[in-house]
Amino acid sequence: MNPLALERPSRWRAFGVAGVFALALLPSFPLLREAASGQRGLGTFPATLWQSFGLATASAALGFAAGLPLGVTAALYSFPGRRALLALASLPLLVPSLLWAVGWSALLARVAPGPLPGAAACVVVFATTAIPLVLLTAWASTAALGAGQVEAARLAGGEAVLVRSACRHAAVPALLAAGLAGVLVLSDPAPGQIFGQRTAAAEILVSFAALFDFGLAARQGLALAALVLVLAAPLAAVAAPRLAAAVLPRAIRPLRPVWHREMAALAAGGLLVFVGIGVAAPLAGLALPALRGTALARAGSEVVETLGNTAIYGLGAGALAAVLGLLLAALAGRSSRLRTAVLALSFLLLALPSALPSLGLLRWSGEVPAALAPVFHSRFTVCVALGLRFLPVATLLALRGWASTSPTWAWAAELHGVSLGRYLARVLAPRLAPAVATGLVLVGLLSAADVGTVLLLHPPGQRSLPLAIFTVMANAPEALVASLCLLYVVGAGALLAALPWLAGRRL
Amino acid sequence: MSAPVCELRAVTKSYGGNLTLMRALRRVSFAVPVGEHTSLLGPSGSGKSTLLRLLAGLEAPDEGEVWMGGALVSAAGRIDLPPHRRGIAMVFQDLALWPNLSVLDNVLLGLSGARLPRIERIDRARQALALCSIEDLADRRPETLSGGQQQRVALARALALEPRLLLLDEPFSGLDLVVKARLIEEVHRLAEERGFTVLLVSHDPLEATPLCRAAVVLQAGEIEEAGPLAALLREPRSELLRAFRDQLGPSGGVR
Repeated sequence: MNPLALERPSRWRAFGVAGVFALALLPSFPLLREAASGQRGLGTFPATLWQSFGLATASAALGFAAGLPLGVTAALYSFPGRRALLALASLPLLVPSLLWAVGWSALLARVAPGPLPGAAACVVVFATTAIPLVLLTAWASTAALGAGQVEAARLAGGEAVLVRSACRHAAVPALLAAGLAGVLVLSDPAPGQIFGQRTAAAEILVSFAALFDFGLAARQGLALAALVLVLAAPLAAVAAPRLAAAVLPRAIRPLRPVWHREMAALAAGGLLVFVGIGVAAPLAGLALPALRGTALARAGSEVVETLGNTAIYGLGAGALAAVLGLLLAALAGRSSRLRTAVLALSFLLLALPSALPSLGLLRWSGEVPAALAPVFHSRFTVCVALGLRFLPVATLLALRGWASTSPTWAWAAELHGVSLGRYLARVLAPRLAPAVATGLVLVGLLSAADVGTVLLLHPPGQRSLPLAIFTVMANAPEALVASLCLLYVVGAGALLAALPWLAGRRL
Repeated sequence: MSAPVCELRAVTKSYGGNLTLMRALRRVSFAVPVGEHTSLLGPSGSGKSTLLRLLAGLEAPDEGEVWMGGALVSAAGRIDLPPHRRGIAMVFQDLALWPNLSVLDNVLLGLSGARLPRIERIDRARQALALCSIEDLADRRPETLSGGQQQRVALARALALEPRLLLLDEPFSGLDLVVKARLIEEVHRLAEERGFTVLLVSHDPLEATPLCRAAVVLQAGEIEEAGPLAALLREPRSELLRAFRDQLGPSGGVR
């Protein structure tokens, strides 16, 4: 093996890509067998699925309507505190939705006591995640415009024309992000549980954990996956080629946001409103009960107790996803077709319900030889399941990192007789490190925030912090639950603040 | 008479599959005698860079043979002598400087295939930097240097290998006229001093005339004309050289 092998086209690359995705889908295979076993009953699930679809559509629409203008104006205009506001607006993506649901629930109980409007509250919580996803996509899409293009639009008709043109440019990626957010809503059980709203993801958990009917849970999981695939496949087909082109670096004069009094006020005001409603309000809901009495101290000891497992799940999943993401990026190499295929499959993988691989692994754990059973009931399996679930996030970053390298580096190394090991260590590793580290941290945060997978797979007594919150929230005092949530948000915020340092300037 | 420093015999190279087959070179044959700096001219997509990669050993020809210093180094579908054993060095169009390494480390890592003791490698790297007048930039990163300085770093990394043949793949494009002229002059001086032969790839005959005595003009993967550059400019058959002669007159400033 020599450095040139990293750049040489080969049919093995396609097989390698197929192999990694087969590995990622492997845990879900036992459910297909379950579906083929003959039983077809789904209970009341189709009606619930329809309700969930309504929630997902409403959340995605809200996410698109609010996220697109916010993202575009935040990319075009500079104003004081822009970076901080963008970071705060991204926070909901890295925190389990159940925390926001608990916050809203606590706030509404004080502000408007009475029965909670379940569906509306669910949409608000889901939109809290959908809006930042669309916002960041629109922001990235607009920021990728060249300064020349922006100046031309500005000269053609001023700020109104510029914003309209930029919104048109970012609309398709933003629509795709809204679609992805909607699909992810279908897999999220927590807000429905908290607001007493029946959702498809929650019903799968109930079928398995309360009714102990694995077959029913498996069939429901597959029905959900089928709906998700029907929705996500066209999105993936549209999104993948665009994303594959977008990850390539372009030699353009980069866009610099400018100060414009009215537009900056609009952009800052919009972000402030979202941060106020989406982040500050539920945080206030958490802080009000949390800061009373000794709940924070008790929550602190619970955090210490679960911190180890939370970190292990996060780091283990992050490391696995970062390694596999880098492998996928290396396998895709310079081939635009392979890069497109990797992105399309990643999109579908991310959209699949998390219950699918978890239930599959559970099925396997009951069928493997006794000697292997401890492996399936260990934290290692949780890390693997989470790492494979969030692999697409690390893959996207690794593809971006790989695209920032030049094939001529390997050619030059080959010409100078540099060994593959030395080339990897001295040239490629330092270059790819920021992308890989960012992928590791992001997947770590997403995995640490996951409830569904950990709930189904965690070994006895090895709960993560979000799972601890999820399991105690029905019975524990409100102040304790709120304190636990608050501490989680503070920790996630601190890690989010460290991301720019990890990413360096190359992402 | 010594063997040519490099020679292609009926070399063919294609890319793509059955449906998208693109023939980059068709039965191309030519030789570069020792000491006769030669330019490989042609418009974009004519196969110049492919030819250079075949000579460098970064790719194998589909048909034909590549010879260097009288030895067969690659033939149809196989590479007999790896790039770093061919006595060649190359300056790439984008320079291919390794961005996370300092200037000195770029040259040092470029010598790692030479199997020299570390002290000797450092000596040779510093000599190469001095040769290209950039010894004071040794600790700088490539991204902090000007275009002309980066060219010198790439040249130093190539010359540290003490090659018999230096391949230049349009390395001067994107430089202003003054810097370009100075660098071409310097390459010429170094080639005379160190005794290596230059094969310069360019789409601009103006870059070739101050340095090269011979030229090969490629068009759509085939040799359109070849010979002494002065003679080619007097009676050009290719559109490229005709356009150049019409602009600058018959001598075109050739050496």
